[in-house]
Amino acid sequence: MSQIETFYEVMRKQGITRRSFMKYCSLTASALGLGPAFVPQIAHAMETKPRTPVIWVNGLECTCCSESFIRGAHPLAKDVVLSMISLDYSETLMAAAGHHAEAALEETIEKYKGNYILAVEGNPPLNEDGMFCIVGGKPFVEQLKHAAQHAKAVISWGACASYGCVQAAKPNPTQATPVHKVITDKPIIKVPGCPPIAEVMTGVITYMLTFDRLPELDRQGRPAMFYGQRIHDKCYRRPHFDAGQFVEHWDDENARKGFCLYKMGCKGPTTYNACSTVRWNEGTSFPIQSGHGCIGCSEDGFWDQGSFYNRVTDLTQFGIEANADKVGMTAAGVVGAGVAAHAAVSALRAAQRKTQDKKEEA
Amino acid sequence: MSQTNLVVGPFNRVEGDLEVTLDISDGAVAAARVNSPLFRGFEMMLLGKDPRDALTITPRICGICSISQSMAAALALGDAAGIDMPPQGRLIAALLHAVENLADHVTHFNLFFMPDFARPVYSGQGWHDQAINRFTAMEGSAARAAVTARADLLHIVGLLAGKWPHTLAVQPGGVTKAPSVADKVRIQTTLRSFRKYLETTLFGRPLEEFAALTTHDQLQTWTTGDVGLFLRISSDIGLETLGQGAGRYVSYGAYPLPGRRAWAAGVWENGSLHPLETEAIREDLSHAWMLGPDAHPKDGKTEPDEAMRESAYSWCKAPRLAGKPMETGALARQIIDGHPLARTIGTGVEARIVGRLLEIARTQMLLEDLAAQIDPKERFMTTAPLPKSGSGVGLVEAARGALGHWTRFEQGKTTQYQIIAPTTWNFSPRDSAGTPGPLEAALVGAEVRAGEDTPIAVQHIVRSFDPCMVCTVH
Repeated sequence: MSQIETFYEVMRKQGITRRSFMKYCSLTASALGLGPAFVPQIAHAMETKPRTPVIWVNGLECTCCSESFIRGAHPLAKDVVLSMISLDYSETLMAAAGHHAEAALEETIEKYKGNYILAVEGNPPLNEDGMFCIVGGKPFVEQLKHAAQHAKAVISWGACASYGCVQAAKPNPTQATPVHKVITDKPIIKVPGCPPIAEVMTGVITYMLTFDRLPELDRQGRPAMFYGQRIHDKCYRRPHFDAGQFVEHWDDENARKGFCLYKMGCKGPTTYNACSTVRWNEGTSFPIQSGHGCIGCSEDGFWDQGSFYNRVTDLTQFGIEANADKVGMTAAGVVGAGVAAHAAVSALRAAQRKTQDKKEEA
Repeated sequence: MSQTNLVVGPFNRVEGDLEVTLDISDGAVAAARVNSPLFRGFEMMLLGKDPRDALTITPRICGICSISQSMAAALALGDAAGIDMPPQGRLIAALLHAVENLADHVTHFNLFFMPDFARPVYSGQGWHDQAINRFTAMEGSAARAAVTARADLLHIVGLLAGKWPHTLAVQPGGVTKAPSVADKVRIQTTLRSFRKYLETTLFGRPLEEFAALTTHDQLQTWTTGDVGLFLRISSDIGLETLGQGAGRYVSYGAYPLPGRRAWAAGVWENGSLHPLETEAIREDLSHAWMLGPDAHPKDGKTEPDEAMRESAYSWCKAPRLAGKPMETGALARQIIDGHPLARTIGTGVEARIVGRLLEIARTQMLLEDLAAQIDPKERFMTTAPLPKSGSGVGLVEAARGALGHWTRFEQGKTTQYQIIAPTTWNFSPRDSAGTPGPLEAALVGAEVRAGEDTPIAVQHIVRSFDPCMVCTVH
């Protein structure tokens, strides 16, 4: 371990100033919901701990996770994290090609055996012995298993790696399969979303690097700090939902007024993600803010739940046509129950599906 | 005379997976076969779903050009429903799309193409130190500047469309977000700072001056910015003549605005312009692991040959226009739109890069023009429900070239969906006549130095097309 430099040393080499470094530590602390007291702890960890090597591999995917990661994040966070994790093997970005790339992967695995984090973007298709995704002449699933064998932990980036995503949509022609169905003997952190929010990606990595342990996960294996609340819970259009004010057509007056998109098929009420708080493209906005409903891209099976423009039908008990007072009270009650039910389920680690969860809330 | 066979791949710094098999004879490529080793089957998944779901599913073909897919899907559905976006809706959709294309071009130059010149194989060249300093993969100063500038530019997409990648705001009837006056100002401010980046870092001089170049000789006098460095390298190692194409180009015309496309549609062949007739498109399956007859995309099927028969070598179909392979991309667009420089800089690696640089300058200018026309009082969306049954086509220009979606639906379910992506054209395998695809043809003659297992010349040629492999087969 001793020959690996610390995060801080890597950052200094990349020309990141002390001032930027401290700013990064406080940004991270607030992103992780940790408060200012943790800033020195994060800084200390970065100064003293050897950097954690990260191997980033791509299977059946669309590269949106890499793109979100490199394009979206706060420039400072992205800069620091990129240099920090120093993606030892990343197919989209690295310099080598062909056999050199293969050799680089092998060398990285060998060098950091048992010590690296394997970040997986995309997933392996298992149909026809994996022939639908070939990397270096071999099915991707083999590369994945090989790289996972000596990994300390695995991060499943995005909906593809976590759940399968649209390429697993019926009839799932290639039998695209999420990572956790193939790798069963390593801790796996799912960071779903199509793609995940850049700040969530950097936040998860920073947490693991700083505290040298996995973040607290919910029962689906997602970091609770980012996936603990529904988009609906913190949506800025929530008052309109509670008041029964809805957009009925894309171009109506209600759309201009920014009313609730529930009737346009918004999946915010059933989607656990940080979009309505962290937002996208450096906190600029998120889909609902641009007038389009949430499609629930961080939920398992979002691609096969009927049309994306169908209403979430199992929530009608919220009282759509009721008056504002009544709806407000009902909603408050439901949120309370939802939190309690969620906590209870986490504690029990029960393998309950979310649909059951919803019934409890109702 | 020595003859060998070389399989090159995986390629990094391209989007997705790619493998090229080379026949090498006397130190040069004698023949090339391009394999797209990744297949997902998007066209099959759309069948039986709500036709509108194409708006959400097709952008996920590609995290790089997702707005292009979004636009093509929206136009195809709009075509089927007889809906047209209101003028301001078209304007915002074009603005979103042009921002993505611009960001893609800047990425390609800085992160995908230029880093090859920092390789040790070029040590000893007068410009090598500068190339290392600017373009070493993931570390070079130019790469850093580009990534930051692009993240800022994409705020425009965040603002108008909620999120990037995989934006949802573009619909057949327009865009879901009506920008406010404040949004307009913020967009214009963002564009101003991006122009500053382009003019200080990439071009080193005003964009208008670059866009006004008309001849190769004039181009040679451009010495400023990273563009100047590229041109110096290019003339030093002969990128002008490397990887030459057949000079046959297609463009569907970029950015549908009210009454016109900002850049013209057409076909360029034998040094002259011809009208685009998409009826003459056929997808040839002779060398693809796909089953079924050759067909126009409105009738074509996607049925993978799971036996992966010996006579085929790629998941990619081979689209042909009137029986001929066509090259598509920024150079094609600029030639067809009539830019004098684009029409006189040849067909090789340098021409493809310069075509993209020209387009960077012209896209920035177009964006500024579009942003100035935003009128927050106007309508940005019309509602017109989709009919139960219908068919339509959506043709757009993605960063990498011509992208088409062909859809048909009956009783509210999609019954037919075919997509031809730009790299499907450029990286197509051979057709039944044995005619190679554009990349396969461009690779012939490329130098293979002694001991090279991933020939540097081959890499320059492959990357000059800016391939997007995830789109190619989808």
